[in-house]
Amino acid sequence: MSRIGVFVCHCGLNIAKTVRVSELAQFASTLPDVVVAKDYKFMCSTPGQEMIANDIKEHRLDRVIITACSPLMHEQTFRKVLAASGLNQYLLTIVNIREQVSWVTHDIEEGTSKAKALLNGAVYRARLLAPLTSRVIDVNPDVMVVGGGIAGIQAALELANTGKKVYLVEKNSTIGGHMAQFDKTFPTLDCSACILTPKMDSVLQNKNITLMTYCEVTEVKGFVGNFDITVQQKARYVDHNKCNACMTCMEKCPGKGISEWDESLVKRKAIYIPFPQAVPQKPIIDKEVCTYFLKGKCRLCEKVCEQKAIDFEQQDSFVQVKVGAVIVATGYDLMDTRPLVQYGYGKYPGVYNALEVERLFNSAGPTGGKVTLRDGKEPQTIAILHCIGSRDKNHYEHCSRVCCMYSLKFAHLFKEKTSADVYQFYIDIRAAGKGYEEFYNRVIEEDVKFIRGKAARVAQNTDEPGRLIVEAEDTITGKFVKLPVDMVVLSPAIVPRSDSKDLARLFNLSTDKQGFFMERHPKLAPLSTMSEGIFIAGVCQSPKDIPDTVAQANGAAAEALTIIVKDKMELEATTAMVNPASCSGCQNCVRVCPYGAPSFNYDKWVSEINEALCKGCGLCAAVCPSSAIIARHFTNEQVLAEMEGLMEF
Amino acid sequence: MADFKKIEENLKKEAKRLLEAGEVTVVLAYSKGFDEKHPMPYAAKSVADIKNIVFNEYCNHNMARYLVRYPQGTKIAVAVKAADSRAVIQLIQEEKVKRENLVLLGIPVYGMKNSKTGEVIDSKTTSGLCNPVLYDILLGAEVHGQKIVSPYEVLAEYEAMDKDARWEFWKNQLDKCIRCYACRKACPMCYCDPCFIDQSKPRWADKAPQSPGNMMYHLTRFHHLAGRCIDCGECSRACPVDIPLYLFHKKVAKECEEMFGQAAGMKLEDKPVLVDFRVEDSDKILE
Repeated sequence: MSRIGVFVCHCGLNIAKTVRVSELAQFASTLPDVVVAKDYKFMCSTPGQEMIANDIKEHRLDRVIITACSPLMHEQTFRKVLAASGLNQYLLTIVNIREQVSWVTHDIEEGTSKAKALLNGAVYRARLLAPLTSRVIDVNPDVMVVGGGIAGIQAALELANTGKKVYLVEKNSTIGGHMAQFDKTFPTLDCSACILTPKMDSVLQNKNITLMTYCEVTEVKGFVGNFDITVQQKARYVDHNKCNACMTCMEKCPGKGISEWDESLVKRKAIYIPFPQAVPQKPIIDKEVCTYFLKGKCRLCEKVCEQKAIDFEQQDSFVQVKVGAVIVATGYDLMDTRPLVQYGYGKYPGVYNALEVERLFNSAGPTGGKVTLRDGKEPQTIAILHCIGSRDKNHYEHCSRVCCMYSLKFAHLFKEKTSADVYQFYIDIRAAGKGYEEFYNRVIEEDVKFIRGKAARVAQNTDEPGRLIVEAEDTITGKFVKLPVDMVVLSPAIVPRSDSKDLARLFNLSTDKQGFFMERHPKLAPLSTMSEGIFIAGVCQSPKDIPDTVAQANGAAAEALTIIVKDKMELEATTAMVNPASCSGCQNCVRVCPYGAPSFNYDKWVSEINEALCKGCGLCAAVCPSSAIIARHFTNEQVLAEMEGLMEF
Repeated sequence: MADFKKIEENLKKEAKRLLEAGEVTVVLAYSKGFDEKHPMPYAAKSVADIKNIVFNEYCNHNMARYLVRYPQGTKIAVAVKAADSRAVIQLIQEEKVKRENLVLLGIPVYGMKNSKTGEVIDSKTTSGLCNPVLYDILLGAEVHGQKIVSPYEVLAEYEAMDKDARWEFWKNQLDKCIRCYACRKACPMCYCDPCFIDQSKPRWADKAPQSPGNMMYHLTRFHHLAGRCIDCGECSRACPVDIPLYLFHKKVAKECEEMFGQAAGMKLEDKPVLVDFRVEDSDKILE
């Protein structure tokens, strides 16, 4: 016999609109073992909580059922009420009649009936609940930041400045990310490198930051407070401890690679530093194009290196890093626009993508900051095409958010550096941001021409060979436009990194429809993920500009701090355990567990679960064919009882 | 048609050699039953046992079934036909047995017969395979040029039924079940001890041979064998009331192969498909 109290929340009209709440409470009072059932406007309010606390005492309740919103919202609130009233917090059951009932129907009959069924099931289950004790674990005070773009740099610096140790992992041989490629930043037009490179240097100088460039995360084990991460240090073939960055090797190297930093517009050496302000300012050898690796002969760099830093025998190595929290800030790729053949990217030399144009403007770029076409001539007419692949049902539905602004910036810079006519082909101009609308107005006044209509096609100009024609419908005049131009700039969709799926799998992140990492809650937890202790910042979550990225990075740093400032933390008691008598040794649990909690004991021929690693997801219990695994708080008996209650209704 | 006498001779010869040399402690094969049509599974443990070994077209038992009965580390030689060798591979994938403890005596054969009906079994089960997928010693010449039946061809009639008709079909079929659990006993992949159906806490289904409990038992068993059934067909032949269990297993195997590009027990290096996650896995199962 248990003594159950049922508390039905109206949630204002959120629930009461499509569920007859007083009828539900009345129904609850007829169910077995229910000694008190009440409904109230806002159960989560202080008077609501006090009512529950009083009823626990007055009716000597030993189980509490709250029918309200999702447990994600208020489970913790009500658990605290139980704990304060002397009841074990795991004797609480939440029935979600808001997200799963009232918000998914307009029909009050349907709503009430489903709420009753769910409640009936909950009462059946509640009777079988057992008190559980939370686990307390030590917290590792260090943080890993994955991705060394502006988001990662900012987050790492913030954390390091509070005195915490940070591991900053970057896939490339330098930090800086995309921001290092930009020339000017909108709307203030301050030089990107001038504001970024001091931060990059601070990372290098900061004693609390362990910079791990040319590294990739290959395995993530453990859980919030105690992650155990394997990082692969890719072979650089240069011993960075010995190298003094004299650059002689780079001068002598005969190998030719394609400069990633300059968006493939120019060549670089096989032994190279991506750009002059790279951090660390030490070269690596690109094995793919190095003459020695290709032909077995050369080793010129080795001969000229006085420090004896070149090491062709270097192998990839693996480093184990233990941290308490992780910030993922892995940024984005630009959509490959070659499949959109109508725009001729990759076919016509006059068609550029946005990042290539950034490099053309840059004084450290392939043209030394002069805007010239691939044939060296200055363009006379330039068309900037917005929304290539984004806001497009056939490709990416999302708005890439920054393209309007950087396209305006391009227009301004074209006007500044050339005497060309500049045309914008746009769907809408989205200039929401501090100083953005003002910048838009400024560019309009600079005699940039705006044609409202998405460009349909870029074609060869048959009248003037070498020139191009942009075709579009001007939706303001309703006329079809055919504009002869010399240069076309595509503003492609900003898309998730090509390897973001692997990363999502490594860190147990969910991805949205487009493939960007999913936040825990779009409004109230935009930097948290469904994996506790792992946070996201910057464009890997969704396209955004630099100020927003920096703000997110600071936020993510603060979120990570909330975990690592504590020495110990409480973990859910809802873990799985194995009943060895029933275990048939199939090892399905070992194979499906995303946290590596079960292991197989070959001596006893049974699986065993390491409770410290178990997150209580229940996968093992679900795949266990001989039901030897018991998921605490969701035992087979409890779940079957709940189903019985559901189906009985 | 394979030369059964020749295979029997070779089987005896190899069994003798392996037992004499002490390479194995037991040879799993067949012996004479109450008549020629009903041979029995047989474990030869000494040279003296070898005279009892037989092999004929009714030796259908999947001897891989008996591997998990022996303590880990036991050196076992086992006679395997095509589907049986797949069972061995699947068991190795599931780490129930180790490859190094096994000597696989491969039997290439076409024309095995159902002792009850006399029909050639290869037309419905065994996926049209005649030669063992994995073996150490082959006891006869490889069988070629036989009619290769598409493993899923026999599903045509079943797949022509719509959802309701299929439900009706299985309701009627499973209604016949007397819960003798012969299917479970014959199946090489049914090694759970205890089986979920024998448990009392929680009691997953009624134990009486009645409809709801029958349904629960069989549907759960089908589910537990998804991606693991190697199509030996022994469950259906063991069934005293002739429930065509192989149809369901085959249908699931087909779906599984289409979705994940992997058939059960075909490659040692495969991982059990439904408890292995690959990023490129199809999401069709969620639709």
